[in-house]
Amino acid sequence: MYLSSMLFLCLLAGVSLVSFLIMTFKDFSYFVEWEIVSFNSCSLVMTLVMDWKSMLFLSFVSLISGMVLFYSGGYMAGDLNMDRFMYLVLGFVFSMGILIVSPNLVSILLGWDGLGLVSYVLVIYYQNEKSANAGMLTALSNRIGDVAILISIGLMFDMGGWSFIFYNDTSKISDIGGLVILVTLAAMTKSAQIPFSAWLPAAMAAPTPVSALVHSSTLVTAGVYLLIRFGPSLGGVSKFILLLLASLTMFMAGLGANFETDLKKIIALSTLSQLGVMMVILSMGFYNLAFFHLLAHALFKALLFMCAGSVTHHAGGSQDIRMMGGLIYIMPLSITSMNLGNLALCGTPFLAGFYSKDLIIEIFFSSFMNEFCFWLLALATGLTVCYTFRLIYYTVSGDYNLASLGCASDSDYIMTWPMICLGAGSIVGGAFLSWLIFPSPYMVCLPLGLKLLALGVSLLGGFVGYVLNLMTESYQLSSLKNYKLLNFVGSMWFMPFLSTYSSSYMFLTTGQKYHQAGDAGWLEFYGAQGAYSGFMVCSKYLQLAQDNSVKVYMVMFLVWLIFITGSLI
Amino acid sequence: MSYLQTEIISHARKVCSLYKRSLRNLESWYDRRPMLRYRAVLLRARFDENKDVKDLRVAQQLLDEGEKELFSLIHYQPKKFTYSPGGVAYEREVAPPDWVLDYWHPMEKAAYPEYFARREQRKKEYIEWWEKTYGKPTEPSH
Repeated sequence: MYLSSMLFLCLLAGVSLVSFLIMTFKDFSYFVEWEIVSFNSCSLVMTLVMDWKSMLFLSFVSLISGMVLFYSGGYMAGDLNMDRFMYLVLGFVFSMGILIVSPNLVSILLGWDGLGLVSYVLVIYYQNEKSANAGMLTALSNRIGDVAILISIGLMFDMGGWSFIFYNDTSKISDIGGLVILVTLAAMTKSAQIPFSAWLPAAMAAPTPVSALVHSSTLVTAGVYLLIRFGPSLGGVSKFILLLLASLTMFMAGLGANFETDLKKIIALSTLSQLGVMMVILSMGFYNLAFFHLLAHALFKALLFMCAGSVTHHAGGSQDIRMMGGLIYIMPLSITSMNLGNLALCGTPFLAGFYSKDLIIEIFFSSFMNEFCFWLLALATGLTVCYTFRLIYYTVSGDYNLASLGCASDSDYIMTWPMICLGAGSIVGGAFLSWLIFPSPYMVCLPLGLKLLALGVSLLGGFVGYVLNLMTESYQLSSLKNYKLLNFVGSMWFMPFLSTYSSSYMFLTTGQKYHQAGDAGWLEFYGAQGAYSGFMVCSKYLQLAQDNSVKVYMVMFLVWLIFITGSLI
Repeated sequence: MSYLQTEIISHARKVCSLYKRSLRNLESWYDRRPMLRYRAVLLRARFDENKDVKDLRVAQQLLDEGEKELFSLIHYQPKKFTYSPGGVAYEREVAPPDWVLDYWHPMEKAAYPEYFARREQRKKEYIEWWEKTYGKPTEPSH
């Protein structure tokens, strides 16, 4: 089934890409109005928008999904519910497709809610407690966004239309202020911006192919895509708040990734950081640039997750980077692909991330911006390179540190082929997109200091990430001196605790205490198990008594006889 | 019921437990083997230093201090074995065995009459096949 799904999705990607090319060169777009029901001048119409943006995004989503499904054929081989998994992933892609081609907020909600529902089911695909908790956190965080969209639909009903196209006239921002805030809120929940960031690393409980899909081109990008579509309406205070929160998200995620030990969570935090970058540039009004980074990021992020999956798959399921090292000698192809993705993420010249990231940073530096956000972006750029090189140190070049001598290798071609394809995409994708989306290049004039700042922080980040990790492998950890700070940074600024425990801590702990002391505690000890052992001991004595029956009965009879006679006398 | 103390735990056992937890905590902080071994030897030496303390009041105080120190240095992301409780793949795939269906309540079975009728039929056929192939099982002598 993985083969047929992959072929179908690749075909869809090809058709969408050709449509995009035709639409770009001939400069037109299609609006399809499909009348589902018409009765007494009331009609129910489904509108689809097919412009260059939706077609290009659809082609990327289909291509990456096709690759991920093919990869799943190897990764999930032997899984008990393989078919269910495939159908769920296809449902996920279908929901994303609806969201991409819908101009109407009601049909957007269909795709949006479909994504939320299927993502929940996929996060709880593995049936352990951790997955159940992560799934609930994911679903409830996204639910806030769903409510925001529902209220937006109500507001838009009053304004005259549900299509975002009617609201792209920037002169009427003051009329739609509430709507813009709600749409921004919805986008922030889906794209996991502060304070809704906790669910994104938690969603790593899902199988790795799902993570590859969710974190590259589907779920988390839905929020960014919604804001790109509503882009021209963005303005006022929501723009500023978005800028501030996105900058903080970017910084927090970059910092957290440097202290994370779970391979998949490091990549998830890097997604969070890149989503912050997209949101920052979106809040400044550069929608096409955000879209460009979204697509380039999708390519190398899917690749990174696939490589991470390959490593964990072959390292006995372990995701802890402390249990890895020296993998380049064992899995050269996977690790080379992983490094390719890592370098693209850092913005290494002429790889996919370079074209979008460099442009974003330079445009940001050349704009009038408050200093706080400026330094956050500069630091986050350095932190990205830092955690990438830390990851390289731990997995690629460090000492061999696997828990056991596993059978790690690159032998499974079903898993390696999609990596090679996306690896090629990570090399040429940036240039390809840059030529197509921006036919005439952006002209950015910067002073030399600012021009070199991005390069400087990147080099410094790389040095800190690799060399310091190498050097601090000492017999006395200096990080323990700042234990509290380390704890704060390594736990995502305590965000998972704040967004879960703050509301439920008291009730859950009280319930747990009652349960432990009562139902599963003393009641169990004296009630069920205690009674069982008590009865067992008694019945053993009874049985013993019955074994010597005649003599014992006689003795008992005599004792009772004497007792009764005595009492009568 | 492991969280419920239903018996008196000896001091020696408490010390051993503290030692093991401390060692595991060190494993989370020092991920390279030589460093870990060095720290583990130092830790063992610290425990060995006080192994001959006879006064239980002092021993109890040492234990309390040790617990406090461990709590203050506990790793924010402790290293867990993949398939052990707390590990990423713990209880990942639960495959309930087929015989669980035989223990369903009759009321539950009544919801799927066709399935269970066929299941009973299949069981009967299987027993027949078995007896035909291997003969009837002998009755237990006791």
